Formats: sequence, structure tokens, C-alpha cells
Amino acid sequence: MGPVEHLHMSVFSQSFSPCGRFLAAGNNYGEIAVFSLSSALSPDATDLSQTPILTFTAHEGPVFSLFSTDSHLLSAGNGEISAWSWAELIKRNTKAAWTRRPNYKSSLEIPEINAMTVNPTENSLVIGGGDNNIHIMDLESGVFKSVLQGHTDYIHCLSVREREGEILSGGEDGAVRIWDHRTGQSVHCIEVYKYEECARPQYGKWISCLTTESDWMLCGGGPSLSLWHLRSMSPTSIFPLSGCQRQANFYQDMILSVGEGQCVSHCLLGGEVKAQIPCTPHSLNTLALNLNSTDNRVLTVGGSSHQIDVFTNLSYRTFSLSF
Amino acid sequence: MGAVTDDEVIRKRLLIDGDGAGDDRRINVLLKSFTKWCNSTGSPEEGFTQYQRMLGTLAQCEFSMGKTLLVYDMNLREMENYEKIYTDIEQNITSAHDKISECKKEIQRAKRIRKNRQEYDALAKVIQQHPDRHETLKQLEALDKELQQLSHIKENVEDKLELRKKQFHVLLSTIQELQQTLESNVTSEAPPHHNTSSSMLYGGKYTCGDHPPV
Repeated sequence: MGPVEHLHMSVFSQSFSPCGRFLAAGNNYGEIAVFSLSSALSPDATDLSQTPILTFTAHEGPVFSLFSTDSHLLSAGNGEISAWSWAELIKRNTKAAWTRRPNYKSSLEIPEINAMTVNPTENSLVIGGGDNNIHIMDLESGVFKSVLQGHTDYIHCLSVREREGEILSGGEDGAVRIWDHRTGQSVHCIEVYKYEECARPQYGKWISCLTTESDWMLCGGGPSLSLWHLRSMSPTSIFPLSGCQRQANFYQDMILSVGEGQCVSHCLLGGEVKAQIPCTPHSLNTLALNLNSTDNRVLTVGGSSHQIDVFTNLSYRTFSLSF
Repeated sequence: MGAVTDDEVIRKRLLIDGDGAGDDRRINVLLKSFTKWCNSTGSPEEGFTQYQRMLGTLAQCEFSMGKTLLVYDMNLREMENYEKIYTDIEQNITSAHDKISECKKEIQRAKRIRKNRQEYDALAKVIQQHPDRHETLKQLEALDKELQQLSHIKENVEDKLELRKKQFHVLLSTIQELQQTLESNVTSEAPPHHNTSSSMLYGGKYTCGDHPPV
């Protein structure tokens, strides 16, 4: 990994281990690096503790999505999903537990997988990618149960509402579709760019970030980041952030959002931007909050740089992990 | 056993010697002068002065002993004082810890409340954009009334239309019948009995006199 490759590296995805002591990050070269958070955050941390304890090539294509279940790390790249046992990764054993590929219609080109999430009630993995469809795979048996069709362009992001049993997906065609996971039918379709207050035609109509919490949904991308009330299907607040947001999270009473722009934006639910914290990468792709552990409760962001910024206190960047 | 106590003795003596270098020497000098004074062969004045000198050194020794006792007392009391302060500070630390955890819980609660309030505000903003329910109900009522009135009017107009249609139908049919009878009259030259029968049809509105047979 020469210096030129370091310069051109982008971090696309992150995931914390179930114990909360390790962070896995995936980059555009198909590599996954595992960092030990407990040693990087300990009082006697050195420069070495800010480098990965393990780096390995997981896929041939970029790793766009990572997800951790209770025991495994699932990584998506080059149209396939691999599972790695966390216990094995900590012991530096890089053998995949399993690798599966959804049934794509065309065998000529392999669509990439952009987003993965788990539906805990059904114990199924929901995958969305370049073939405009959402595939649902049962985690225990590995069988691909169903395909949700409806999007007319590739899917950027997914979210699951457990209580109502719904899957939400946002795509390049500008539509946020709400699917019922049992029937596999699209219950609602919100075309965000058609709402005047959200639309930003100069950026496009694609939706690249989607997250839900009880009755509220955040979505953004081409149109401005907006907070929607799902029961009434109406936008309640629009956030005046320049640049397209790529990932947003609800945290306590705030909204954290990253995207184009060298900062993490803290916004209030009312629509005002409370703070913008600067960070190293020039454009951010992923934001992850470690809520699994009480000791290493950090926020990490990664983007178009080989460095991943770690925030122990949300107000400022503490240090950076380096790929 | 003997070596330990010797070490102790040596250590103690070195300590004591370090403190009052004169004391030990003073006691030795006192003993020597005492033995010399007991075995003295000089004059009684010399003996008396020596005796006075010995009393003086004895007083000095007593004085330094008293001083060290007082210092020892003071040290004990200082130690107690420090112990008290130490326990006080420990208590303060624990109470501060408790307060901090209480405050953290408070802040979590306050954040939740703030979040709920903001959600409420956001929804309220959307709701405000929609018109008031009472007004819309009133508008609906007014529209209902208008609708009823208009349907009334429509019914009336339709009834009138029906009536007129029927009247015109009757008129046209009687005209046709009259035509037929006139034609049959022309062909058969029968007496105009039909006129009376046809006049009974429309209730005497048109008398035979008005329509003389052609």
C-alpha cells in the first residue's frame, strides 16, 4: 500500500464490534481494517495503537457496506456478501465464515451492493444495490427469501422499522419507498424531490441517506436533508445544510449528519443547525456511533481520506485512526 | 535477637543525637561532673559552684525533655486534625460523584424532554399550515345548504318541465286526433259528433264554437 494508494483511499463503511471494543472499516480497495478502540482510547496509547490491528482484502471491489450482528461482521463488496466471525477477526484469522450472492437476473454485469441492514424480528438481512431491487436473505439458512421490486434506479440506502415491520429504501430515482416485509409490496412511495421546500434541482433528485426512529424519518441527498413525520407523510423540518448529506443519525435530542463538506453537522429537530465540527477528510461518507459499550462511547467518521476521525466528546475531534 | 535490638538502639540513638546534639553529651558531662563532684577534694565554695552548675545542666535537660514532650503532643494533635480533614475531603468527593451522576441523569431526562418538545413543535408547524377545522366545517355546512337549495330548485324545475311536456303532449295528440277526424269528416261527410267527444277530452277549455269544422 504505497503512499499514492493512501492518498486515493476512501473509507466507505464502518461498523463496531458487538462488544464495542473494535472498529472495522472498509475502503475503496476492498480492504477491511480492524482497529482496537480500547487501546487507542487508553491513557497510554501510542501512535501504533492508532493503526489497525488487522488489515485484509475482503473483496475485489470496494466495500460499500458493513454491518455487525451479535457474532459476525457482514461485508458487502462486488455483488457478494461475506460474513466474518468477530472472534476470529480479533485473533487475526481472516477466513470468511460464509460468502453468498443474491440471485441477480443478468449474469453479465454484477451489480454492487450499496446498503445492508438486518431486520431483527425476522432475523433476515436486507440488501439493496445496483440492480434496483431489494433482496431479503434469511440469516440462519442463507436462503434468499424474496425480492422487492419497484425502484427504477439503483438503491443507495436502507432502513428498517421494527415495530411496524417496514423496510424503507431510498434510491437514485429520488423515491423513498416503504415496503411491508411480509407481503413484499410497496406500501408508500414518497418522491422527495417533488416537494418544493426540500427539492434542490441543482443537485439532483437522488436520496443517499435514510434513517428512521419511531415515527420520524430523515432523508437527504440531492434534495436537502429533511425530517419527515411518517404517519402524516409530510416534511416537518428542512435543514439548511449546503452539500449533499450521505449519512445521518438520530442521537439523543440531536441529529448528526455527514456528507459533502469537511464537517460533522449537529442539528436540532426544529431545523436549525446547532454546530458544524471540522474534521480531517474533505468529504465524509460514513458516520458511526458506538452505543454498544459504555467505555468506548465514541463517534467515528470516515470519508475521502485514509484517516478516520474519532470524537470522544461530540464537540471536537480527539484523534484520527489511520488505515 | 540481640542484633535486632542493637540495630534499633543504634537507630534510636542516631535519631536522638540528630535532634539535640547537646542533650546526650550534656547527660554524660553531668554524670562525669557528678562523679567528680562526689570525689572532689577542693574547697566547699568550688563544690557548691559545681553543684549549682550540675543543677543548671539538670534543669536544661528537663527543659529540653519538656519541649520534646510538647512537640510530641502537638504532632499527635496535628495528625488527628489531618485525619479529620482527610475524611471530610473523602466525603466531599463521594457526594460530588453522586451529584455528578444525578446531574447526568437529569441531563438525559432534559434531552429527552427537549427532543419531545421539538418533535411536537415540528408537527405543530405542519398542522398550522392546514386550515382550522371549525372553519372548514362551517364551509362544508354552507356548501351543504347551498347544495340542498340547488337540488330543491332542480326538482321544481324538473317537475315544471314534466308538466309542460305532458301538456304539450296532450295538445299535440288532440291536434292529431282533430286532423284525423277532419280527414275522416272530409271523406265520409258524417255529422260533426266527434267535436263534442273531443271537447270533453280537454275539459271544455276549447269550445266547439272556436273551431268550426273546415
